[in-house]
Amino acid sequence: MFLARISGTVVAATKHPTLEGCRFLLAERIESDGSTAPEPIVIIDWLGAASGSTVLVSTDGDIARTRLGNTTPARMVVVGIVDAVQMPESAHGVKA
Amino acid sequence: MRLGIVRGHVVLNSAVAAFRSKTLVVLEPVTMENLSAANGLGGGKALVAIDELGAAKGQMVAFTEGREAANPFWPDAVPVDAYCSLIIDSINIHS
Repeated sequence: MFLARISGTVVAATKHPTLEGCRFLLAERIESDGSTAPEPIVIIDWLGAASGSTVLVSTDGDIARTRLGNTTPARMVVVGIVDAVQMPESAHGVKA
Repeated sequence: MRLGIVRGHVVLNSAVAAFRSKTLVVLEPVTMENLSAANGLGGGKALVAIDELGAAKGQMVAFTEGREAANPFWPDAVPVDAYCSLIIDSINIHS
């Protein structure tokens, strides 16, 4: 699991049939120094994460398989919306 | 899922049985910098993915990597580690 900041929404009409009706968000993975990874990711959100918020992303497809069936290619799912991250030793820290 | 731009297709001569009649695309992953600039560039290291959606050259897709990429072929065992899950119509970046 890792932290990511929601940076936008994704619209895709053509998709794997099991992904019909899912909400897709664009997110940037947050490193421990507060910087973001160079490549953005597309994640599935069932919790209603807002743009700009920090979320906890799981890369395990089990929850997606439970909801969407065994044949779903879904993997990265928002499993929590972050209130605060406490990292006293970090120079910059991660702002939720 | 990461984002990638379809740069071409791969045709196999001989392949493992599970790959017969599957479409393979060459993807160039997209960096946030290029996505924000909307310049049509990728910037990441190219990879090959299975495509069942019919993505055309130049289109952007979101692709799944890892074990989950083989899920669409369940219960068959297919040696796939990248799979095109979405063809992107638009991305709204809020910054």
